Amino acid sequence: MKAQATITPVRSRSESQGEGLVDIDRNKGRFRVNRAAYKDPDVFELEKKKIFDKCWLYVGHRSEIANPGDYVVREVGGRDIIFTRDRKGEVNTLINACTHRGATVCREKKGSARSFTCPYHGWTFDNTGKLLSTFSNEGYREDLNEDGRLNLPKPARLEHYRGFYFINFNPKAISLSDYLAGAKDVIDSYCDQAAEGEDGLYVVKGEHAYSIRANYKYLVENSYDGYHVIPTHISYLEYLKDRAANAGAEEDVNVVAKAGANFRGTGKTRCLGHGHAVLDSRVPTGRPVADPLERWPDKVKQQVNENRKRLEERYGEEYASYLAELQKNLVIFPNLVFNDNVGLTIRVINPVSHNEIHVRAWGLGHTGEPPELKAIRMDNFSNFLGPAGFGSADDIEMLELCQRGIENSPTEWSEYSKGMNVDAPDLRLQEGAPDDECQMQAYWTQWDRVMRDIDTFEQE
Amino acid sequence: MITQDVIRKIEVENFLFREAELLDSWQLPEWTELYTDDARYEVASLSADDPWNADPHDSIFLISDDSEELRLRANRLMKKSAHCEFPHSKTRHLISNVRAYEEDGHTKARANFVTYRTKSGKTSRYMGEMHYVLERQGDDFKIRHKRCVMDLETLNDQGRLTIIL
Repeated sequence: MKAQATITPVRSRSESQGEGLVDIDRNKGRFRVNRAAYKDPDVFELEKKKIFDKCWLYVGHRSEIANPGDYVVREVGGRDIIFTRDRKGEVNTLINACTHRGATVCREKKGSARSFTCPYHGWTFDNTGKLLSTFSNEGYREDLNEDGRLNLPKPARLEHYRGFYFINFNPKAISLSDYLAGAKDVIDSYCDQAAEGEDGLYVVKGEHAYSIRANYKYLVENSYDGYHVIPTHISYLEYLKDRAANAGAEEDVNVVAKAGANFRGTGKTRCLGHGHAVLDSRVPTGRPVADPLERWPDKVKQQVNENRKRLEERYGEEYASYLAELQKNLVIFPNLVFNDNVGLTIRVINPVSHNEIHVRAWGLGHTGEPPELKAIRMDNFSNFLGPAGFGSADDIEMLELCQRGIENSPTEWSEYSKGMNVDAPDLRLQEGAPDDECQMQAYWTQWDRVMRDIDTFEQE
Repeated sequence: MITQDVIRKIEVENFLFREAELLDSWQLPEWTELYTDDARYEVASLSADDPWNADPHDSIFLISDDSEELRLRANRLMKKSAHCEFPHSKTRHLISNVRAYEEDGHTKARANFVTYRTKSGKTSRYMGEMHYVLERQGDDFKIRHKRCVMDLETLNDQGRLTIIL
């Protein structure tokens, strides 16, 4: 495990003692990460090239551009992207910067358009990126754009898995399907929950858009960290208990108490290859698909039970209970999170610098779902997961405390060894308890391999 | 001339100023008493197309509290374990351009606001407009519905919304 580091950022050279920034010693049960990985601007510059220019990055869901001409503008891997559907119904991603002088071409966040006109000199592009007009043609040679070099450029690759679109700036990248590895099964489980399958998933109106003054990997880790649930979120568990008690729902109170007393027994973390991992846990929030709370109205409970019955008929009892009862917090390397808690949400973590991130999050609904069940999803998306919620707001505070702490202290390493399977052939494929750190070991193992050019995610 | 409209405006303004004072002094249990038992307190999503008419059960909101949740929100914010507000931030709620009127048997109010929050060496501003549906109770009011719409595109500058607007 002692490979020579190729990372030699100015400030961390001495801190990493000439070795990599991830220190794994199975004999000693040691897994630790050098804090330069969070606080060194030079490490971030390297990450941009080695990670964000090489990995598959999430752009959007097909329901967001349902009709020809629809578009949304997104920040993906530090680039401005137009995610749009052309008149033939094909999905395109275009770099939102004019090929003439570089001005942002599309200034609206979403809409419907056949073409995009740059406000500066009036260059117009169709929604496949083709340059249609230079406003004034005189003075240009007729073959100005014969080779297409002045069309709006596209990221090298665009692929989707079950309606979730990703781009990759590396033309030689392996396919999205290969890249996602075991994470595909978890995405399947999200599709399988909807009555109409993947076609029944849609992004609901509105988004959360906020920032955190911390390194992006802190939020990645936090998103599937079972260890922090009780200490950080005790006030959320108390909120759940209070709601249950106010409604006289004794069973709900007991379920909350049980989870609080033994979170370790509520599920497991599963590493899925390529640095992806999922935390399966049973947190007593209730799930419209298909795990009701006692305090929910009878009508709602009946609707939820119908969902459960549908799942059991379609998939059998075992998989139905996995779909229904477990919360599935999935991280796809390097910066995408699916939180399937009460409902399913997508969270993209955009690094702005080594110590600042922009977070964008969307909620998904199920076509044909009764409004009462949708309301439960919507409530949870604001009262737990949002920047004004009872959960995420405390997470944000923790991550900023971490960033401040590492920047203002001389301590070099952070500890990640909880639950490490020292005999696992590959730490990126191990399993652990919900409050272990196996998922982070998988992530950091992958991160280290990419940063040291052991893995490039390129085709042979 | 002191008309009914002027009196109403002063009454409503005084009431809104009292709410602001309770919030700035972190008297949150007392703040909850300003709300009826069927009240709602909402902050619309910054990306909502039509934030005044958006339905919190159909689209994403930043805050969509029923009366039980707003009380539990206040209760939580008074705990040390509400990490995002420990120690409590310093806040200043400024309310202006108050317009009060009667509609559908209720006293309603619209007001502009700027709220400053300072914590951990950083001061953030939240600004926008609030719409109230009030219920007259004797000489006083209770809030039946309060919706805030902020003039922001993202919370990139603020990071979060952990205080009550």
